Amino acid sequence: MTDTATELRTTRVVVSRRKEGDDPATPRHDTYDVAVGPSSTILDALVTIRRGQDATLTFRHSCFHASCGTCGMRVNGREGLACVTPVPDGDEVVVEPLANLPVISDLVVDMNVFYDEFDEAGRPLMRTSELVSGGGIAEGIEELVRFEDCIECGICLSACPVAGSDPRYVGPAALAAAWRVVEEPRGADPGPVIRLMDDEQAAWRCHLAWECSEACPSGVDPAGAIMRLRRAAAAARVRRLFSFGGNR
Amino acid sequence: MTIERPDPQPYHVVIVGGGGTGGALAHDLVLRGFRVTLFERSEVTSGTTGRHHGLLHSGARYAVKDRESAVECIEELQILSRICPGTFECNGGLFVAVTDEDAAYEPLFFESCLASGIPVRRVSRGEALRLEPHLNPDLKMAVQVPDATMDAMRMPLRFFATAKAGGAVIRPWTTVTELLVEDRLVTGVRVRDLTSGAEEEVRADLVVNATGPWAEQIAVMAGCDVPIRPSPGVLLAVRGRWSNMVINRLHASGDGDIVVPQRGLSVVGTSSWVVDDPEDLGVPEDHVERMYAEGAKMIPAIRHAERRAAWSAARPLIGSKDAESGRELSRTFKCFDHRETDGVEGFVTISGGKGTTLRAMAETTADVICRKVGVDAPCQTREVVTLPHTAYYVA
Amino acid sequence: MAMSSAEPRRPASGPARRRGVVGWFDPRGRRLGGLAFIVNRLTGLGLVLYLYLHLGILSLLVQGPGAWDTFVDIALSPPFLLLDVVLLTGMLIHGLNGIRVGLVGLGFVASRQRALLISLMVVAAVVALVGAIRIFGD
Repeated sequence: MTDTATELRTTRVVVSRRKEGDDPATPRHDTYDVAVGPSSTILDALVTIRRGQDATLTFRHSCFHASCGTCGMRVNGREGLACVTPVPDGDEVVVEPLANLPVISDLVVDMNVFYDEFDEAGRPLMRTSELVSGGGIAEGIEELVRFEDCIECGICLSACPVAGSDPRYVGPAALAAAWRVVEEPRGADPGPVIRLMDDEQAAWRCHLAWECSEACPSGVDPAGAIMRLRRAAAAARVRRLFSFGGNR
Repeated sequence: MTIERPDPQPYHVVIVGGGGTGGALAHDLVLRGFRVTLFERSEVTSGTTGRHHGLLHSGARYAVKDRESAVECIEELQILSRICPGTFECNGGLFVAVTDEDAAYEPLFFESCLASGIPVRRVSRGEALRLEPHLNPDLKMAVQVPDATMDAMRMPLRFFATAKAGGAVIRPWTTVTELLVEDRLVTGVRVRDLTSGAEEEVRADLVVNATGPWAEQIAVMAGCDVPIRPSPGVLLAVRGRWSNMVINRLHASGDGDIVVPQRGLSVVGTSSWVVDDPEDLGVPEDHVERMYAEGAKMIPAIRHAERRAAWSAARPLIGSKDAESGRELSRTFKCFDHRETDGVEGFVTISGGKGTTLRAMAETTADVICRKVGVDAPCQTREVVTLPHTAYYVA
Repeated sequence: MAMSSAEPRRPASGPARRRGVVGWFDPRGRRLGGLAFIVNRLTGLGLVLYLYLHLGILSLLVQGPGAWDTFVDIALSPPFLLLDVVLLTGMLIHGLNGIRVGLVGLGFVASRQRALLISLMVVAAVVALVGAIRIFGD
C-alpha cells in the first residue's frame, strides 16, 4: 500500500521474470519505475506494479505482517519477506525468487518441494504449536499453546550454501522441525526422529554457514536446532556403543 | 479418516475467488458430490482473508449491538475447533475495562454475551494482571471470553487441502477475464493462466462469485449488481508477544480495541472507513498512530514496541451504498441468487461475513446451489475433520 | 476452445536455481556466518596448497646445500616474509574457527556461536599482528 504521506520518490524495480516455457537458466529482467513512500515495502512496490503497470506479474503474498511466510524472495541478493523489507535507498532494487526451489512463475516458487523435505521429518509430525510454560492459565483453559515460530517461508533453504550445491540435503527447515519434535516429545519417543536425522544428508550435511539462522525472519534458529540434533544423535550413538548389544 | 462421499453429481461448479470462503465452498461442494474448479488470480488467501489479525471470534464483540453475528460466531467457533484441530491457540480472551465508563458498560456486555450463548466469566483486576502481567495496571476488571487465535492463512488452507484431496481443481495464478453469458444465463468463465499467458474457456453449470470486496467487479461481468462496499481498516503488528490471551477493550466497538498475539508479534486492530476501489486502500499514518495509542491503553508496552508492519485489509460489507464509516453495516453474510436479484441464471454471489464464518458461508451457498440445480445432498462440513494445511502442498 | 471442466493442471516449474559449489564462494548477500564459511574454505584450500609447496621446498634439501642456500635467500626477502604472514594468518583463522566448528558442531555453545566467532577472529587478528611484527622485525 502506498503512503498517504507526501514524500514519494520514484525508484527502479528490476524483477526477475519467468513464464512457462522460458529457459529457467536465463530469466528475463523487467524494469518498472515505481513511486514509493518512506514506509513502503517491497511488497507494496510489487502490488503497485501489478495494479498499475503489469497485471501478469505473479508473486506470493497473504498476511502483510510476516506471519504467513508466503512472500519470501531475494532483494538485492539477500533473502527476506517482501512485506517487511523496506524499499532500499538508491535508484534501483533487484527482486528475484528464492533460490534452491523450482520457479513456477516470476517470483513464485514451488513450495511442494519445500514441504516434501518435511516428509523426512514426517509431515504429520510437523506440529503447529508448542506448549507455553510459565504463564498464568485462565480457568477453563487446559494448557497455554503458541504457534511454532517457523512460518514455512523457505528463506532458510534459499540462504543455505549447502542446499545450494546439493539437492539431496534435507535442509534447515525440516531439521528444525525435527528438533522441535525431539525437544518437546509430548510423551512420544523422540528416538526414531533422532535416528532419521542422524544421516549424512540430514543433520551431518550442515557446514555451519549459519546463514539460515541469520536470515530467518521469525527467530527459529535452525542452525542451533541442527547442532542440538547432532548432539542428541552423537549421544545416542555413544549410548548404543556402550549398551553391549542390549535391548536398544 | 474416510470421508462419506455421496454419489457424484453431474454438475460442475466454478468458484471465482480463492479466499477463505472460496476454499470452504470448494470443500463443501466436493463433499456433496459436485465437480469443482476454483480460480484465484494470485496466491490463495491473498485478498482480505490472509490479512486479518487471526482472531477466532467468540462473538462477544457483537453481543450487544449485533446479536445475529454474535450467535453465528460462537457456533462457528465450536465447529471450527472440532474440524480444524491443532490450528488454534485456545488460550482464551479478556475484555478489559480500562476506564470507569468501560466498567459501567460491563453489566450490559456480560448479559448480552450470556444471551448469545457465549460463556463468560468475571475476572478481578488482580487475577487479570496475574494472567497477563503486561496489562495496563490501572484496569478496573475484566471479562474472560472463549476467544482464540488462528493463523489467518493456514486455517483456510486446511479447507483448500481437503477440497483438493477430494478432487477439487484449485487453480491459483489464473484470472477470470470474462463471464460467459448467453441470453441471461451464465455458462462459464474465460480465464488467463498467468504462469503461461494461455487463455481458455471453462464451462460450468453454475458460477459462484466469492471474491469478497471485489464482488462488484465480477458481478458486473454478468450485468449484475451486488450491494457490497469495501470497508478497509488498518492493522499494526509490533514486536513482542505481550499476551497469550486475546486482549479486547470492554466498550462498544471502536478503533484499535483488540490486541491479538501472533507468534512473537502482537497485532493491534483496527479502524474503519469506506472506499470504492478495493485495489488501492492506503495506510493512513494517523490510523497507525491511533493503533499505537489505543493498543497502549490495554498494554502499555505497545506504545514503544518496534513496528514490524502496518497494513490495510478491506472487509466486504453488505449494505447501503450510502454508508459512511462501515461500522453501521452488518457483519453477517449473504448469498445473492442473481436470478432473483438481476434476472441472470447460473450465477450466485456470496459475500460479507468474516474470517471466522467461512464454513457457514459455504454451507449457505452450497444449499442455494443444491436448490438451484435440484440436488438433495446434505452438508457434511460440520463433522468432517479437515486435513492439515501442509496437505495443500502436494502435486 | 471450450472445455467441460478445467484440467487439474499443475504449472510446470523449472529446476531449482542453485548457486552450486561455485556459489559457496560468492559473498553477495552473505551475512557474518556465511562469510566465515567462505573464509574457512579459502584458508583450508590455501593450507593444502601450502602443504604441497612445503613438501616441494623440503625436497630441495635432497639437491644439496647450494639449492637450499638459494632458497634461504629468497625466503628472507620481504615479499616472501609477507607470504609467511599470510600463511600465519590463514592458519590462525582456520584453526581457531575450526575450534568453533568442532564445538558448536556437536551442539556445545550453539547459542553463543556468533560471539565465539567474533572473539576467536579477534584473537586471530591480534596474534597475526604480533607475528607480523616479529617476522618483519627480527
